[in-house]
Amino acid sequence: MTPPPPPPLLELEDISRRFGGLLALNRVSVRVEEGEILGLIGPNGAGKTTLFNLISGVTPPSAGRILWRGEPIRGLSEDRVNRLGIARTFQNLRLFGPLSCLENVLVGLHHRGRSSLVGALLARPGFRLQQAKLRLQALELLELLDLAEQSDQPAASLPYGLQRRLEIARALATAPRLLLLDEPAAGMNPGEKEELSGLIQRLRQQFALTLLVIEHHVPLMMRLCDRIAVLNFGERIAEGPPEAVRRDPAVIAAYLGVDG
Amino acid sequence: MSGLSLLVQMGLAALLALSVSLPLRCGQLSLATPGFYAIGGYVAALLSTRWQALGGAAATYPLPSLLLEMGVAALVAGAVALLVGRPVLQLRGIYLAIATIALVEMLRVLNLNLEWSGGAVGIFAIPQPFAGPGGYLAFTVLLLAAWCWICARLDRMRLGRAMAAIREDELAARCMGIATTEVKLTAFVLSAVIAALAGVVAAHFLNTWNARQGSFDASITTLAFVVFGGSRTWLGPVVGGLVLTALPELLRPVGDLRLIVFGLVILIGPALFPQGLITPERLDWLGRAWKSQGR
Repeated sequence: MTPPPPPPLLELEDISRRFGGLLALNRVSVRVEEGEILGLIGPNGAGKTTLFNLISGVTPPSAGRILWRGEPIRGLSEDRVNRLGIARTFQNLRLFGPLSCLENVLVGLHHRGRSSLVGALLARPGFRLQQAKLRLQALELLELLDLAEQSDQPAASLPYGLQRRLEIARALATAPRLLLLDEPAAGMNPGEKEELSGLIQRLRQQFALTLLVIEHHVPLMMRLCDRIAVLNFGERIAEGPPEAVRRDPAVIAAYLGVDG
Repeated sequence: MSGLSLLVQMGLAALLALSVSLPLRCGQLSLATPGFYAIGGYVAALLSTRWQALGGAAATYPLPSLLLEMGVAALVAGAVALLVGRPVLQLRGIYLAIATIALVEMLRVLNLNLEWSGGAVGIFAIPQPFAGPGGYLAFTVLLLAAWCWICARLDRMRLGRAMAAIREDELAARCMGIATTEVKLTAFVLSAVIAALAGVVAAHFLNTWNARQGSFDASITTLAFVVFGGSRTWLGPVVGGLVLTALPELLRPVGDLRLIVFGLVILIGPALFPQGLITPERLDWLGRAWKSQGR
């Protein structure tokens, strides 16, 4: 007898989400396997960001199950979901604007530094050593995303493309197993987009990450992703390797519009 | 009012301003400070007058008893804050402000009507731990210095950083794994403890305590300290509390005009300095200017 295969890292089973009269997601099922990069594409309003909000605990699903390593996590708050190992970035950038880049990453490191209140207040040597370690970790993450020079600048003062990278650094600081990237290339110039693809591959290697990526830039997704799932009007219309998805008639119809 | 007494009042005001500023650091507009100030005062008044009745008729009230009162007041205020904070902190913005005003008013009406709090008359002849205002001043300065130090340390601690993150974007902070309810509750409890400790000192200093201490207008006054001084540093609220408490006394020579001048200062201050008198940027600039001067 062979042992049963391990459950997928994340599994969505028949997830639906209704906003008033609008069915934003209709019985969507998606499996994310450990170590893969799964792309999520679809026209505007297809429900991609809604799906991210459901996974990260921001909005509860109206129906269906969300399984993390086979355990249901539906109904957990955002911070509990994050501590399970799911981190995300935001489509519309939600950095802590006046805080420096370094401080933004340090917020992500919140749970790495457990210290006693008294030790912290008195700035005991143990506390100071830990502070120095956290700072170093934060600087390493900034370095990795090529933001070391900006570490003392307020996050809000960075150009758009750098803010996107800072969001990734901050999310990585929470030590995720699964990283959800919501349009990481939006607002980037072609050169930056090119670099981003390599960067994401490097991060996957270095942190043994699994990634779920929303992105409109299809050529980038074709190169980057192991598999691609396509959403349209809240329904999953295709899922598979990039080449197969590209040739799928339903996908072509959704993007280009086909009569009858 | 003697100069020393005014200085004590200024120190207590600065403590209350720190109390208001802590929830504001995580973006929570709580006006509950006068309520916890009243609780602290009643704990002090009840315990110390009881001590006198028990026959402890020394000329001055012993300092260890004062410290004990402060411990009890901190515990009582902290417990009330924990109990009330969990439901109340679910509210946002102006609704939290309204709910905390309601808390202050409820405590006031309770104290006005309960027998053990002395009803409308209040509690009189609270024993004196210090012979004169000088002792109160030293004690208040110590207390203020301790809390300034704690609030300054917060900036370098993960608790302070988490509070700032919540102020800027609560949802993003939660998505980064921060248990925002616990952090907000911690700030609320700390705020209650500071206010209660100020209340203990104030009850002894004023010699009498009643339901007029800690009313709605005190909510607004303490908030004005923070708006005037600026809520983004620990120094801002302290300066706001000191200046706005001193101002009416310093303006005494101009007679009735002082109320107009005081009103103008409160109006013009936030209009000219919407972030308050003291901001991190201005402190940085001052620090740099001072350094280059030294060279």
